[in-house]
Amino acid sequence: MSDTQQPGSGTHGDSHADHDHGAEGPGYETPQAAIEESEPEKTAYVMGLYTGTDVDAPDFVAVVDIDPDSGDYGEVVDRVEMPNRGDELHHFGWNACSSSCHVGGLERRHLLVPGQRSSRIHVIDTAERRRPELAEVIEPDEVFDHDLSAPHTVHCIPDGEILISMLGDADGDLPGGFLSVNDEFEVQGRWDPPGEIEMNYDFWYQPRQNVMISSEWAAPKTYYPGFDLEDVEAGNYGQRLQVWDWEDGTVEQTLDLGEEGQLPLEVRFLHSPVSTHGYVGAALSSNVFHFAEDGGRYRAEKAIDVEAREHDDWDMPMPGLVTDLLVSMDDRYLFFSNWLHGDVRMYDVSDPANPRFVDRVWAGGHFGPRHPTGEDDRAVVGGPQMLQLSLDGERLYWTTSLFSSWDEQFYPEEGDRGSVMLKADVDPRHGQMELDEEFLVDFGGMPHGPARAHEIRWPDGDCTSDVWQ
Amino acid sequence: MNEDDAGDAEQPAGATRATLEWADGRTLSVEPQPDEPVLDAAERADAGLPYGCRHGACGTCTARLLDGDPESLDHRRPPRALKPRHLDAGYVLLCVAEARSDCRLRVGSDVLAETRPAPWRDAGDG
Ligand code: FES
Repeated sequence: MSDTQQPGSGTHGDSHADHDHGAEGPGYETPQAAIEESEPEKTAYVMGLYTGTDVDAPDFVAVVDIDPDSGDYGEVVDRVEMPNRGDELHHFGWNACSSSCHVGGLERRHLLVPGQRSSRIHVIDTAERRRPELAEVIEPDEVFDHDLSAPHTVHCIPDGEILISMLGDADGDLPGGFLSVNDEFEVQGRWDPPGEIEMNYDFWYQPRQNVMISSEWAAPKTYYPGFDLEDVEAGNYGQRLQVWDWEDGTVEQTLDLGEEGQLPLEVRFLHSPVSTHGYVGAALSSNVFHFAEDGGRYRAEKAIDVEAREHDDWDMPMPGLVTDLLVSMDDRYLFFSNWLHGDVRMYDVSDPANPRFVDRVWAGGHFGPRHPTGEDDRAVVGGPQMLQLSLDGERLYWTTSLFSSWDEQFYPEEGDRGSVMLKADVDPRHGQMELDEEFLVDFGGMPHGPARAHEIRWPDGDCTSDVWQ
Repeated sequence: MNEDDAGDAEQPAGATRATLEWADGRTLSVEPQPDEPVLDAAERADAGLPYGCRHGACGTCTARLLDGDPESLDHRRPPRALKPRHLDAGYVLLCVAEARSDCRLRVGSDVLAETRPAPWRDAGDG
């Protein structure tokens, strides 16, 4: 495998350059076009990290070969090391996606890679997609200057601007907000009026509906050090969704999900730009909420309830902990992970308010097999966590780390042995999925020592970042 | 131990000694200058201590005072990652802790984990 199999600029799939929508920008004209025109993913970018361990090395962006025809299939073939230790790389995003499909000259080329703990924001140039390079660094002080910290979700927004959810103020306390960065990777300032929200976490926008929805974790000083029951009792974790006027950047509605909606994390709208439907996973309550517009107002209701399970080592039933979810590009399936239990589930969402369970895979976790890919393979010492799906909906991948300090509590072996990246083959036609026992990327064998692995992205767009105008 | 406590402002000339001790028995002495966080002195000595935010919010640099006067360390910024129960038990944040007198500190990534035990577990709840 080499870069020569990629187009010269390395920034689009061959197909994009050929497709005929009369646009020069990045991405695909519609979600269906993404399915038709994309090639099977050959390269994955995966967050790799040492923060919170005794390994004296910086975090890194791993380049993983996922081309089944390559001799390096399933290997980390390159690592872009950050210039400092202690970032806690977590989520990341592109400078441009399909939302800028009609903006000539823009390319999906630079990854914005925030340090969750450091508040440092890195820009990585993927012009050579197997040899990406660090291009720019936004230092923490430039972020603190706007009384913001703890960068999380990166979404490009139309016209080349980039928006980042920020979970805290300059002290790691509340309120959080949003940081806006321009196409030259200069901090523009705060996007939202100060004080518009308290807690923040993930967000997704649906521009044709002029709406953005954001979720809530907690103040950085609360979640950074680890999970604490005292904070549940004190109401220090979030349970609300904010519904924004996308153009004005103001909150129009606050949806309190209540006791059953504690820790609403990842927010996913359906990909169709005409849809107002979407989902959020309430991690702690282990419920998936469906939201949609109804008579000009958004409403959210519990759509999937993961039953807590008795476990010998626990003195109360163990929640599944729904930590990530995503919607397939064709908007037919919802996938989510139960990080503590150890299963990844697949639901038919052709009727979005009424998801129908169709299949699941068990791998690691507290109830799944410890050696899911075979007894001779290494043990999986975490549960399924960050998900990523191929654009054609046929391959689902995931990693096993949640957050360094929370891993230490729920999966104390993960820091010592490192994460894995696993894969299931999905049959969308028949609503089935099956673990690929031939695929395991081992982050336990990195040069500086075992590393955790977190979010996954493909060079040509994916199911958790592309948005359509 | 807080940033407003400027009582012992007059330091003896030169540095204090902070002895770092890891769970595996390794030790290292570092000499923080007045007004220098212990973490910075440890970095000068290539101690490889864990850290994250460097402003007292994240707890990644948590250490525990083993002996020495509780007043031997002052936090230059509020130690937001520690709760009262942690401060009472002698936990400190090295990224914002300045040494006022000699002290011994338990360091390493396992110290933060001690402050946030696994919730709900039958065993080891503490
Ligand atoms: S490094 Fe975050 S509290 Fe010290």
